[in-house]
Amino acid sequence: MDSWVIAMMLGASIFLGAVALFAFLWALKNGQFDDEEKFLNAAKFDNEDDLNDAVNAQRKKEELKKAYKPE
Amino acid sequence: MSEKIVCDHCHLEFSKEVMIEDDGHYFCCNGCQGVFHLLSEEGLDSFYDKASGVKLAPPTQQYEDSSNFDAAAFYDKFVKINNDGFYEVSLIIEGIHCSACVWLNEKALHKMDGVIEANINFTNNKAHIIWADNVVKLSQIIDMIRAIGYNAYPYDASLQEAHANRERKDYYLRMSVAIFATMNIMWIAVAQYAGYFTGITQDIKTILNVAEGVLATPVLFYSGWIFFRGAYYGLKNKVVNMDILVATGALLTYIYSIYITIIENGEAYFDSVSMIITFVLIGKFLEVLSKKNAADTLDVIGKHIPSEVNIIRDGKIVSSKLHDVVVGDIVVVSSGEKVLLDGEITKGSGTFDESNLTGESDPVFKTVGQSVVSGTTSIDADIEFMATKDYEHSTLSNLVQLLESAINKKPRIEQMANKLSEYFSTVILVLAIGTFIGWWLWPHSFDTAFMVGISVIVIACPCALALATPVATLVGLSLGAQRGILFKEAAQLETMASCDVLVLDKTGTLTEGKPRVINEEAKTNFDRNLLYALASGSKHPVSIGIKDYIYEEHFQSYVHDTYEQIASQGIKATIGGFELLGGNEKLMKAHGIEIAASNSTNSLFYFAINGQLVAKYELKDTIKDGAQELVDGLKKQGIDVVMLTGDNQRVAKNIADEVGIVKVFAQQTPEEKANYIERLHNEGKTVVMVGDGVNDILALAKAHIGIVMGSGSDIAVDVGDVVLLHDSLVSLLDAFKISKTTFALIKQNLGISLVYNAITIPLAMAGYVIPLVAAISMSVSSLLVVGNSMRIRYKWSKQ
Repeated sequence: MDSWVIAMMLGASIFLGAVALFAFLWALKNGQFDDEEKFLNAAKFDNEDDLNDAVNAQRKKEELKKAYKPE
Repeated sequence: MSEKIVCDHCHLEFSKEVMIEDDGHYFCCNGCQGVFHLLSEEGLDSFYDKASGVKLAPPTQQYEDSSNFDAAAFYDKFVKINNDGFYEVSLIIEGIHCSACVWLNEKALHKMDGVIEANINFTNNKAHIIWADNVVKLSQIIDMIRAIGYNAYPYDASLQEAHANRERKDYYLRMSVAIFATMNIMWIAVAQYAGYFTGITQDIKTILNVAEGVLATPVLFYSGWIFFRGAYYGLKNKVVNMDILVATGALLTYIYSIYITIIENGEAYFDSVSMIITFVLIGKFLEVLSKKNAADTLDVIGKHIPSEVNIIRDGKIVSSKLHDVVVGDIVVVSSGEKVLLDGEITKGSGTFDESNLTGESDPVFKTVGQSVVSGTTSIDADIEFMATKDYEHSTLSNLVQLLESAINKKPRIEQMANKLSEYFSTVILVLAIGTFIGWWLWPHSFDTAFMVGISVIVIACPCALALATPVATLVGLSLGAQRGILFKEAAQLETMASCDVLVLDKTGTLTEGKPRVINEEAKTNFDRNLLYALASGSKHPVSIGIKDYIYEEHFQSYVHDTYEQIASQGIKATIGGFELLGGNEKLMKAHGIEIAASNSTNSLFYFAINGQLVAKYELKDTIKDGAQELVDGLKKQGIDVVMLTGDNQRVAKNIADEVGIVKVFAQQTPEEKANYIERLHNEGKTVVMVGDGVNDILALAKAHIGIVMGSGSDIAVDVGDVVLLHDSLVSLLDAFKISKTTFALIKQNLGISLVYNAITIPLAMAGYVIPLVAAISMSVSSLLVVGNSMRIRYKWSKQ
């Protein structure tokens, strides 16, 4: 077996692991694990309406940020 | 039987007749109906699907006008402005029953114009809201929360709390990276070691080395950043700390391993790099977890002082900021309120609780012309007084300043591991450099000399040393928690183990603080219902003691026709034509009742009906269980036991004799207690103070360790370092035992890691260390330390 096979497999598996790690770090930074109850309930309340609401809320926030001129 | 039906909003069950019918829906009250319609209009009625039958509290409560939330004083205290110029507040939401409630509140707030973010934590009901103040006001936000059937009130999210959370999160992130990389390096290392024994081609080895190097890089520079920072500050302060050893060891090993990978000859040590960082980081994290912020305590003291008082201006009562009150202002205090300024009463009279300042639990009666002191609480007095000092010069402000300086200057005993690691690090660094020079001067290549030098640092793995203290204190903390002893900071276990003097408060600490009847002398048979009715009317400790003593199941409740409490004498009342008197000798004499003189050291309570003495009770404050054992046990350990009390000499002596305490200081003010502790400090003693009341807090803050009874006042519990949840003296003795055990365990653990190093370092210096030995050595020393700690834990939990 050529050594490049080992190199490739090592590279691929470390890359996949790293992707998972970054997803975890991102979630940790965003406070998804701060409140374990809410974290578990999020799956229960997941529907189209809430997704729309979340997008609208995000848009509203951006607009307000643009419009807002702190004195 | 009428039909029962559930309310469509709160889901509580009522008879059909009493319900409000509205278009096919039924409501128990207007409040529920209002909320239901509001939710329908806003398109939030899917709340009811989510809540699926959870019973809610009907929103019947009427709230005060919310406009005071927009007051500048309020914004000043609770509202922060963030970097974007938006306003932020932390609220506690009342009435959250289920996750649907959280959903509803967040949705309702998000729908409001101007609200940028509303985030509610279901676990602790705390909400964090960000809004644009030019679009919407805080009062409108709170009105909205109230309109949908909840209530909100602000709390001061202290900076310290936020800071502690941020630090913990930072450690989580760094540890996740370190653990992930180390675990992956380990399975690559398995291939390396297998190859070391069975043969491996150089190109495969290089591939494995590169993979390990890629994984070790973030561990060293991201997770290990903490150590580089620590090493930098250590060098700046000219201290050789453990961080320097870890940072130099890991960095040198890392550079050497890269060099080996490039020249394709020899063994790389990337696994050692990541293992050192990961293990020591975990040890550090354990320490961070069990650390209390001194600043946290300071915050708490301010929280107990209201920021506004009611004063009279132009004949009207207005509220004013505490700091704006000037000398000569008339301040209004009603019953139950705290007096926040010093002054002289101009109108009204009543009793005050001065236990905060004097430690005396008996209420003090004051009337026009007498002075009131800040820091006391009005029990039943509705008074007006003229301020004679502004807040900055008041007794209360003085006390707070004293307390703040006491907390800031709290003496600390340096932890043994810190002292040790300084020597250890220096010795190892010197040995490593010596080894390198020695090998190089003796004819060896630079490569070999460098590798042997490095192996000394790697083998002198500071992992075990870094883990020794945190693991042992963690065992101590959990042993304490099982027995209702709360250590707020791990380092206190070590300090407490070296205690020389134990200072005890009397009332509430050594004794129950509740007098009990020990002797009853009834002259004639009398209706005990009368005495019960008389005693029930008062909150004085003696009447409570009497009430508890004579209590029986079937007492009839009499209504007092007249009732009068005479300060420091007793109670006078008439019930159904009987004239009742209950109180001390003074009261009886004042009403012309002859009593025989008594030389009892206990409190006496006389009861007379229609001018005739019918009974005499002797009351005594009972000593808590285990007091004797505590004093004996501590004396055996060579600890001095001292009692300080605000009570008089006779009572103090009496109690002290009973439990065997020799040193007693009676009639101590809070300042005197604190001064006594300060004197002990100056003599070089380590002092543990045990107390429960507000009058003890200065002394508690001054002592090396302040131990507080769980039932003590809130401020005392906040200021104390150790809290005894069961209020028992048995657990106080346990706390001493646990701290001694833990300290012994720390010493054992440090001993193990030092002995371990004493054996392996000479081997490393002689050049006998192969990579496998280095890796095993690292784990074994750490395992020994953890295993030893588990052994102690197991031994205790069997008891």
